[in-house]
Amino acid sequence: MFNNVPFSFTDYLLSNNHVNSIIVHKFDFSDEEIMAYYISFLKTLSLKLNNHTVHFFYNEHTNDFALYTEAIKFFNHPESMVRIAVRTITLNVYKVDNQHMLHYIRDKTAVPYFSNLVWFIGSHVIELDKCVQTDEEHKNRGKLSDLVAEHLDHLHYLNDILIINCEFLNDVLTDHLLNRLFLPLYVYSLVSPETRIIFLNVLLLCVLQVFLIIHYQPLVNALADVILNGDLSVFICQPDHASAGGLRRFIKPPESLERSLEMSRHRGRKRTQKRPNYKNLGEEDEERAGAGSGGGELEEGWDDDKIEMVVMEKGKASELTEQNITDEEKTAAATRTHTQRSRPFLDMVYSALDCTNDDYHALFVLCLLYAISHSKGVNRDLLERLQLPVPDQERRSYSMVLVERLIRITSQAALPDGKVRLATLELSCLLLKQSVLSGSHCLIKDVHLACLEELSYMLSSQGEEIFLDMFEDEYRSMTSKPLNVEYLMMDASILLPPTGTPLTGIDFVKRRPCGDVEKTRKAIRVFFMLRSLSLQLQGEPETQLPLTRPEDLIKTDDVLDLNNSDLIACMVVSKDGSQAQRFLAVDVYQMSLVEPETKRLGWGVVKFAGLLQDMQVSGVEDDSRALNIVIHKPSSNPHAKPLPILQANFIFADHIRCIIAKQRLAKGRIQARRMKMQRIAALLDLPVQPSATEVLGFGQTATGSPSGLPFRFYEQSRRAPNDPTASRSVFASVDKVPGFAVAHCVPQHSPSPLSSPSPPSSGSGSTGRCDSVTASTTSFQSPSALAPSLTPASQPTISLLTDSSADTLSVESLTLLPPADSPHLHPCAAAHSLQTPDASIMEDQREAYREREEEPQEEDGSLMDETETDATVKDETTETTELITPTDEGPEGADQQGDDASLGAEMESTTATESVEDTGGAEMHKEPADSPELD
Amino acid sequence: MAYAYLFKYIIIGDTGVGKSCLLLQFTDKRFQPVHDLTIGVEFGARMITIDGKQIKLQIWDTAGQESFRSITRSYYRGAAGALLVYDITRRDTFNHLTTWLEDARQHSNSNMVIMLIGNKSDLESRREVKKEEGEAFAREHGLIFMETSAKTASNVEEAFINTAKEIYEKIQEGVFDINNEANGIKIGPQHPTTNSPLSSNQGGQHAGGGCC
Repeated sequence: MFNNVPFSFTDYLLSNNHVNSIIVHKFDFSDEEIMAYYISFLKTLSLKLNNHTVHFFYNEHTNDFALYTEAIKFFNHPESMVRIAVRTITLNVYKVDNQHMLHYIRDKTAVPYFSNLVWFIGSHVIELDKCVQTDEEHKNRGKLSDLVAEHLDHLHYLNDILIINCEFLNDVLTDHLLNRLFLPLYVYSLVSPETRIIFLNVLLLCVLQVFLIIHYQPLVNALADVILNGDLSVFICQPDHASAGGLRRFIKPPESLERSLEMSRHRGRKRTQKRPNYKNLGEEDEERAGAGSGGGELEEGWDDDKIEMVVMEKGKASELTEQNITDEEKTAAATRTHTQRSRPFLDMVYSALDCTNDDYHALFVLCLLYAISHSKGVNRDLLERLQLPVPDQERRSYSMVLVERLIRITSQAALPDGKVRLATLELSCLLLKQSVLSGSHCLIKDVHLACLEELSYMLSSQGEEIFLDMFEDEYRSMTSKPLNVEYLMMDASILLPPTGTPLTGIDFVKRRPCGDVEKTRKAIRVFFMLRSLSLQLQGEPETQLPLTRPEDLIKTDDVLDLNNSDLIACMVVSKDGSQAQRFLAVDVYQMSLVEPETKRLGWGVVKFAGLLQDMQVSGVEDDSRALNIVIHKPSSNPHAKPLPILQANFIFADHIRCIIAKQRLAKGRIQARRMKMQRIAALLDLPVQPSATEVLGFGQTATGSPSGLPFRFYEQSRRAPNDPTASRSVFASVDKVPGFAVAHCVPQHSPSPLSSPSPPSSGSGSTGRCDSVTASTTSFQSPSALAPSLTPASQPTISLLTDSSADTLSVESLTLLPPADSPHLHPCAAAHSLQTPDASIMEDQREAYREREEEPQEEDGSLMDETETDATVKDETTETTELITPTDEGPEGADQQGDDASLGAEMESTTATESVEDTGGAEMHKEPADSPELD
Repeated sequence: MAYAYLFKYIIIGDTGVGKSCLLLQFTDKRFQPVHDLTIGVEFGARMITIDGKQIKLQIWDTAGQESFRSITRSYYRGAAGALLVYDITRRDTFNHLTTWLEDARQHSNSNMVIMLIGNKSDLESRREVKKEEGEAFAREHGLIFMETSAKTASNVEEAFINTAKEIYEKIQEGVFDINNEANGIKIGPQHPTTNSPLSSNQGGQHAGGGCC
């Protein structure tokens, strides 16, 4: 009704006191619409409050401020929008700088309103706690997150009041918060488990939220002091505060807000009554309130703080002096003060850092320490005295107790089955850096090492392709989204016991990993964090990560010297139909499209550059001269659909150019990925790992002649007697490149087929020979190829490796390089050669011999079946899959099964015909593999 | 009046984009051309029908609360739907959308339906933001998009009703927990399903502690 009325007219209306009679009119507030219009009306009025208009609402003589007093009666209305409106109204009122009005508010309404508000907030916390305690299987999460958000709303509201910096309101509010809520309900419950009504996590969350949100010094500093420094005497009834108000108790206000407002209205202006339970900083405060309204607030705030502290510690004067002594000698302080005086709250906090069983509490404690150390309201001296981590500050010592516990957390995080979540680790790294950074020495070398071992183990259990993508992906998502404690603590799900399943929708860093892929992801992240921690503590810069640095890459519009480079002319037809004549050049990590530089002969301007590792190449069905090339933008979100940065058909001069280009791209891609894998291997110090010698081997060879490798493979096959087949099989393998590029671009699909083969293979006692063959043949094709070869070999394998025939192989084949195939490729490519079956039979006999020792009755069956297999496979396999046949020759059916299955899976994604054949092959193997057991 | 559901909306966007006018047009079917920055319509309610069900829309205007963080975040959380409004004749109001959206996404519950509205579509001659740009922004951020004119009432009904339909669908899919009032959805008093103790609240002023 007043909306949209011209301003002066509104003034007129308001001045006639009609508004006030409307405000005090008792409407039927049970009608939600009337309620909504009414409170919105009050809110609109409150938005118009200023030093001038406030007189229309606040009557100094009759002591009447209906707009405010009527509004606050709804502070705990069940309808959230109404409560929000009430808060808005109060804030709008406090904002008006009118001393008389503010005095009225403090004298008549502050105590009733704030005590009720504090009670309301406290009850809310208890409800929150109930919700956590009654939770089963995370069912209460929806409600819980609302309760947490609501609690945060309260704290933000309190902070908004405190920020207005109406000093004498702040005093009342601080007193109530501290003595009626924070200390009695939150802090006291920390140390007394038997009387604790509230769950530890809820308590910790509530306390730390105070530090995260509220920065009002007198309040926050007093709270921090009790937690870090205080003992139970804070709660002992002090004689001079023996009145009801002096007790630090969380109690329900004796009367409802409405009633106490009524009463204070009738009481008249007697000073003694206005703050019945306010503490004794009275007189001095009074004078100040009269004198200074605006300036010098900071200074006064400081004074207040001092007074507050003295008041708080009055009951323990002796301890205060003791404390002063220890202040002088800071160096040995932490341990000494620790033993000298009891700090039950701090002890409690530290002991909750223990992560042996889980990091349920530790996460909160870390956040609490972080929040206290970052709070602007907490006195630096207080933190330094306790040697708590203070960001960006010079110091000579640190708290041994804390650092030890932090190190323990990091080392627990590095354990294979560590229960420490990533968020916990990240926080403890953060605090650790904060604590010890100016006393620069590396504390965690051993921890770091432990993590490395874990990670190299992880590396070995994952396929090469997927591992690289994960490695880079995790680095990206970790650096792009650094931990934000405030956001972390807004998530209600951390209040519930840590879980492992992603089905809850809980963010990865806030839960334990689920499955092998997530375990690897976690291990990778742990590695990154510990690496960064250790580098920073040693004062060394990061030179290796990220693997792809934008500054190392060729960028669009770079001018390159392309003399002596291989260039292939092509027409690039992009998806939208635009065409351009370009030259295709393949670099170590990138492919680029260049256009001749006009000024310098042999130089080119880059028009497009994309990472080879993110590229997919496929043929174009009806045009043998054309290739379809898609390059995806590396995305930090593995579930997001990869966004192509290039999607175009490349048309070459003829079929041959096209094939050359395709090969070069495909090989370039493999090579680029392999180079990065080598760098990861180097990062992980893999040579130390006996089980990782294979990787080392491949690293060495590859670094020796990085560019030659794929081509050596090519030459090998060309040298084979039946040239056409061999070269075709090379193409076949190249064809598959896009196939698994697809597979790993769609991670939800790929992990299952790719990672599944490794457990069976490691379990079935794979031989070195077989593995190496699989690995080397499929290294061009299968991301899972690394899996079996890198898993720690079991005993029998070693015995087989000592065989002369296998021995020669092992050196080369373990390098995972194409040349390793040679002994196999030859017999294989020359399909008529009888050597291969012979060799395999020999192997089989050895195998059988070994088996006979263990289980003699199986001997015949296994031998026969396996020879048969080889024969069948020979018949079945077509020329295109010839490269894969060496795999089939391996003696272990069980092992091949897994590999073949994985190959089959990949094939499926490339060509239907191939997949049929190949899965057919795989199925063939299942029979012989199973038959011994059947016998 | 009886209703099956009550949806709470908020309207957000830069000042002067016509938030209050949209609300007035929707609830009162009138247009108030004089724009007084200091006085805005604060609240409006209207009944609509979706799928044969009476649904009450409560629209809470958030004008003037920007200075208090606690208020902003509470408002976002209490709403089931938000109309994010920009002025097609002022590019800067369009440019600020990202900030508004970030705020909304951070504070609101994840199911809140956000509709992007390019208002003042009647002022075609002064247009600074192309319709396609609005569409593209909406697509990129997963919003519903519409151009409206609070003056001619073009698309105003549709904007509010389509948002309601979206919320209604989400309820049918079970995405919203309708027994949890914090989502900005309330079941009507006559609704056949049993009300939670919270939603059947007496509406009294002093429900005591512990209500949320």
